[in-house]
Amino acid sequence: MSVRICCSEGGAITANDTILEQISRDDLRRIYTDGLATIGEAADLAALEAVRVRFLGRKAELVLLLRSISELPPQERPEVGKVGNLVRKALEDTVEAKRAELESRELVQALGSDQIDVTLPGRRLPLGHLHLITQTQREIEDIFLAMGYDIADGPEVETDYYNFEALNTPADHPARSLQDTFFVTDTVVLRTHTSPVEVRTMEKQRPPVRIIAPGKVYRRDSDATHTPMFHQVEGLVVDRDITLADLKGTLETFTRAMFGADRKVRLRAHFFPFTEPSVEVDVSCMACDGAGCRLCKRTGWLEILGAGMTDPNVFGFVDYDPEEYTGFAFGMGVERIAMLKYGVNDLRLFFENDLRFLRQF
Amino acid sequence: MKAPLSWLRDYVDIQMDVEELASRLALTGTEVERVTDVGVPGDDQNLGRFVVGKVLECVRHPNADKLSVCTVDIGAEAPQTIVCGAPNVAAGQTVAVVLPGGVMPDGTCIREAKLRGVVSAGMILSEAELGLAAKSAGTMELPDDWEAGKRLTDYFAIADQVLEVEVTPNRPDCLSVRGLAREIAAITGARFDEEIAFPYPETDRRVEEDIAIEVRDPDICPRYAGRVIRGVTIQDSPFWMKARISHAGMRPISNVVDVTNYVLWALGQPLHAFDLHTIRGGRIVVRRAYPGEEITTLDNEHRVLTDDMLVIADAQQASVVAGVMGGLESEITENTTDILLEGANFSGPSIMRTEAALGLRSEASTRYEKGLDPEIIPLALDMACKLLVELCGGTVSTGTVDVRTEPRPEVVLRLRPERVERVLGEKVTGAEMTAILVQLGCDVQRRRDETYAVSVPSFRADLAREIDLIEEIARIHGLDQIPPTLPARREGWGGLTPKQTYMRSIEDLLAGAGLCQIIAYSFLDEKWADRLRLAENDPRRATVRLSNPLSGDQAVMRSMLLPGLLATAQRNTAVREERVHIFELGRVFRPSAAELPEEMSHVGVLICGDWEADSWLRADVRVDYYLGKGVVERLCAGLDRDLKFVAAGEPFLHPGKSASLQDEKGRYVGWLGEVHPLVLQAYDLKDPVVALELDADLLFASGSAATTFKDLFAYPEVEQDLALVVGSTLPAAAVVESLRRCGGALLQDVAIFDVYEGSQVGQGKKSLALRLSFRAADRTLSEAEVNELRETMVATVRKELGAELRG
Repeated sequence: MSVRICCSEGGAITANDTILEQISRDDLRRIYTDGLATIGEAADLAALEAVRVRFLGRKAELVLLLRSISELPPQERPEVGKVGNLVRKALEDTVEAKRAELESRELVQALGSDQIDVTLPGRRLPLGHLHLITQTQREIEDIFLAMGYDIADGPEVETDYYNFEALNTPADHPARSLQDTFFVTDTVVLRTHTSPVEVRTMEKQRPPVRIIAPGKVYRRDSDATHTPMFHQVEGLVVDRDITLADLKGTLETFTRAMFGADRKVRLRAHFFPFTEPSVEVDVSCMACDGAGCRLCKRTGWLEILGAGMTDPNVFGFVDYDPEEYTGFAFGMGVERIAMLKYGVNDLRLFFENDLRFLRQF
Repeated sequence: MKAPLSWLRDYVDIQMDVEELASRLALTGTEVERVTDVGVPGDDQNLGRFVVGKVLECVRHPNADKLSVCTVDIGAEAPQTIVCGAPNVAAGQTVAVVLPGGVMPDGTCIREAKLRGVVSAGMILSEAELGLAAKSAGTMELPDDWEAGKRLTDYFAIADQVLEVEVTPNRPDCLSVRGLAREIAAITGARFDEEIAFPYPETDRRVEEDIAIEVRDPDICPRYAGRVIRGVTIQDSPFWMKARISHAGMRPISNVVDVTNYVLWALGQPLHAFDLHTIRGGRIVVRRAYPGEEITTLDNEHRVLTDDMLVIADAQQASVVAGVMGGLESEITENTTDILLEGANFSGPSIMRTEAALGLRSEASTRYEKGLDPEIIPLALDMACKLLVELCGGTVSTGTVDVRTEPRPEVVLRLRPERVERVLGEKVTGAEMTAILVQLGCDVQRRRDETYAVSVPSFRADLAREIDLIEEIARIHGLDQIPPTLPARREGWGGLTPKQTYMRSIEDLLAGAGLCQIIAYSFLDEKWADRLRLAENDPRRATVRLSNPLSGDQAVMRSMLLPGLLATAQRNTAVREERVHIFELGRVFRPSAAELPEEMSHVGVLICGDWEADSWLRADVRVDYYLGKGVVERLCAGLDRDLKFVAAGEPFLHPGKSASLQDEKGRYVGWLGEVHPLVLQAYDLKDPVVALELDADLLFASGSAATTFKDLFAYPEVEQDLALVVGSTLPAAAVVESLRRCGGALLQDVAIFDVYEGSQVGQGKKSLALRLSFRAADRTLSEAEVNELRETMVATVRKELGAELRG
C-alpha cells in the first residue's frame, strides 16, 4: 500500500491515521509518532541524517525489534513483523521526502548567493556578413523568382557580337560612344552590360522566355560616381502578346516590392539601341516622398532602371519571329538600388571593402 | 545642348512655364539636365534698371587719374552723374547703364556710391559685365540710334532662361534650336512655325567663277555645297548675336564665325567658312587623306592623318579634317574679305572613326557622327548668307555649287493600329496617332485596309520601321496613360538551379562561419604574380590582358582571388582594422585557345589577425592552418562534399603548413595554407595569415546525388576508443583511411580526439587517440562482434603502417 506523507515546510509531520489504526503496540506507536516528529524538526541535512540513524539505523529500536522478531512470543510476531515494517517504510519515506525538501531549500539558498554581472558582454560568437551587393542582388533575384523568372548567366569577358552587334548596336552605331568599353582584342570586350545574356538565352531557348541575368559588368570610367566594375540585373520576357503595359506592371510590382508599397513609379521615354519603345523608370523619392530634396535633385523622382520592348532587330539575330512574339527587357544597376535603399552615399565604398562598411550590413 | 528659351520661341509658341516644359521634355525622352537663368537676374523691375544712356559730358575725375566723371542722359528729366573707370569712355557715346538698385549677372547689387568724393548714380557697363565676353577693355559702345532711357532688353536679350538638354543619340534632329522647338511643339501641342525662309539679294557674279568643287569620295561625303560671299568686313557681331551665342554656351568670336555657329545652333547643320583666297587653284577637293598627310588644326595641334580620314583640300593640300575641325591655314582672319561658305554632309561612321583616331571631338563632329539630314543644307546656307549680308556687309554670288549623291528615296511606312495596340497594351485612336505623327513632321494617309501610310521627313532618319512609329506614338500619347498589367504566365515556373542554390550556400556557410564577404575588382596590376612568388612558368601567370586599361594597376584580369584578398587585408590593416576575416566568391579568368577565355568561379578565404575580438572571455582559437582547415571542413560538411588534404607546396604558402585539396576522385580543386612570410611582407601583413582558394565549379561538379534519409535510431551506435602509436611524420589521414578501409560498412566514423608527441611514446613517434563508432543498419552489434572487428583493424594498421597499440 502507498502511504501519503504529509510534510509541511519546517513544521510537524502529521501521522497517518490508516497506519495508526493498525498499530496496537505502544512501543511501535511511540516510535512512529516520535520518529515523524523528530524528522519534521530536522533543520538541515546533517540533523536529518542523525535522525535517520536514530530511528532507522542499525541500532535503532525499531530495527532491533524487527531483527529480534524470532525471540518474541509467536502470537506477537505477525503484528510486529507486519506493522513494524509498515512503520519503518513510513519513516524511511518521510526521511526521503524531508531530504528532498531540505536539499531543494539548500540549493535555493546556494543559488541565491551565486550571482554574476549580467551586464558584462557575452561570449563573442563570430558573425559574418554577406556583401551589401550580394544582399541587394538576392533581394532583386527573389522578387523575380517569386514572379516565376529563371536566373541566367553568361561570361564576363564577351564577344563584340553578343555585347553590341546582336543587341542592334553595330560598330558604327552612335550609341557605342556612350559606353566606354574595355577591350581584350578587337572583337573581345569586357561586357558593358548583362544584356548579352539575353541573346545567349534566346539562342538556346524558344519562347516563352522569362529570365533575369545578374552579374558584373565593366566600363572604362572611374570617378566619384563611376567605378570600372559594377553589377547589373538584366531581365527579359518574351512570349506572345507581351506588351509595354506588361513591362510597366512588372516594373511597378518590382519597385514596390523593393522599395515599399507606397512608392510611385513613372516611365520616361528614352533611347536604347536594343529596345523600342525604350523607357527609363523612376521611383518616387524615398527620402522626401516626392516632395523634392537633395537626394532626388529636387525632382521628387529617382531613376532606377532602363527598359523597353525588345527591338525586332534583336529577334532577328536569334531567329524569333517578331510578328509572332513580342518581349520586354529591363536592366538596373545593383549598386544604385543598394545606395538608394540603404542610403549609401559613395559608390566607391562597395569595392574598397573596408570592414567598417561591410560590417554594417 | 543649351537652348535659350527666347531662341526657341522664334519657332514655337511656348505657353507653359519652363519647369513644366522641362518636365514634359523629360517624360518624352529629352532629358533636361538643368534650367539656368543667364545674364541679368530676370524680374521685370531689375531689367528696368538696365537702360541705354548717352554720355553728354565726360571729364577727368578731380581726385583720380584713371576715373572719369560722366554726365549721362538716361531718358530722365535730369542727366545722371556716373563715375566710370573705363579708358575708352567719351562724350557722345551711346552706352549701357545700370541704375542704382540693379542686380548684376554675378549677383552684386549696384548702389549709389561716392567714388573719391564724387557721387555716382549707377555704372556704365562693359560686355564682360553683361556676360557677352570673357573680359572687356572698356565700356560697350551701343549703336547711336538706340534711344536714351530705353531698356536694353528692348534691343537684345540681357537675360534668358536656358534649357540644358541631353539628346539621345537617335535624335540628332534635336541637336538644334529649331529641331528642339519642333519636338516641343509635338509634345505640348504648341504651334510650330513650319514656314521658314531667308531671302537675300544675289549679285551678278556666279559662284562658279570663284570656286569649283570635286568630291572624290561620295561614299562618305554624300553632299558638299558651297556659296561665295564677297566683300565682308570682319568685326564684332551685334549684341543680340553675341547674347544668343553666349547664352547658348559658345564664345562670340567675330561676325563671320558667329554666323556659322549661330546657324549650327539654330538648324543643327555645321557650316565652315574658308578665306576664299587661301584656297589654291580655286578648287575644293573632298577626298580621303593621303597616308601620312599632315595638317595643323584650329587648336594649333599638328596632326598626322591616315587614309581612313576625310579631308577638305584645295588643289594642293588638305586644310580641314572634314566634319571634325578646321585648319589654321584657311581660317577666317581679321583681313578676310571673301568667303567660301561650306555646307556639307559626311557619313556618321566615318566621322566617328576619325574622332576616335584623332581623339578630337567638336560641336560639328558630335552632330555629324549621329548622321545629319543632307536636305537641310540649302536652308542653312540661306540663313547664313542672309546673316552675313546683314552683319558683315557682304554680297552673295549667284548660285550654289552643290555636289551630291542621289537623295534618299522617300520613306513610307505602314502603320497597323492593331499592331500599335499589341505592342503597347493600350488602344490609341487613329485620329490621335495621325495628329502625333503630323506634329512630328510626317505625312499620314489612311488606307482602305485600316492601316496608315506614313511618309517620314528626311530629318527623321531614325524612323525607318513601324516599331519606330509606335515608339513615337507611345511617348507622345503618354507613358502615364499605359495601364500596368502583368504578363500571362505560360509554361515554366522559375527558380534557382541546383548550382545557383549551391553558390548561395557557399556564401551563407562562410558568412555563417563568421567571415565577411568582399567584392574585389576583377583587375590586377602587372606585378601581382611576382608578389606571390609564382614561378616564371606558373600557369596562373597567363592572364587575360586588357588592351586599353584605365591604369597599370588594372591591367590584367585576375586568375586567382588571393591577390584581392591580400590587398583587402592590407588596406584594412592600414586603417588599424587588425582582424580581417574575409571571403570572396567570384570569377577568375584564364586565356584559352577559344575566342573567349575560360571563366571559373572561385571561392577564396583569408583570415588575418586574432580570430576572437578582444574580450574578457576568450576561447583561445588560434589563427593557423587548422583554423583554415576548419573553415573548409565546415564548408564541405554544409555542401555535402568530401575533400582530401594532401601536403603540398605553393610558392605563396608556408612550405610546411599548406595542403592541396582534392575531391573524392582525386582531382585538384584548390589549396589551403598559412601564407608565406615573404608574401605577407609584400602586403605589409603580419604572420600568421591563413588563406585558401577553391574552384567552386569543380567542387560543385564533384557532388553526389541528393541527400537521402538514414535511420540512425533503430539500432544503437557502439563507440570504442583506441590509442595508436605511429611514426611522427605519418599523416593522420593515412591511419584513418586504413582503419576505414578495414572497418567497412560497420565503421561509421573515426574521430581523432588527441594527438600526443613526447617522452611517453618515444623519439620520432606520436600517439593518436581515436574514437571509433560502429553501427549496423539491421541489428544491434554485439560486443564480441565489435571487438573482433576492432582487433582486425588494429592488426591491419600494424601491418600497413607499423602502428602499435599504445600500452
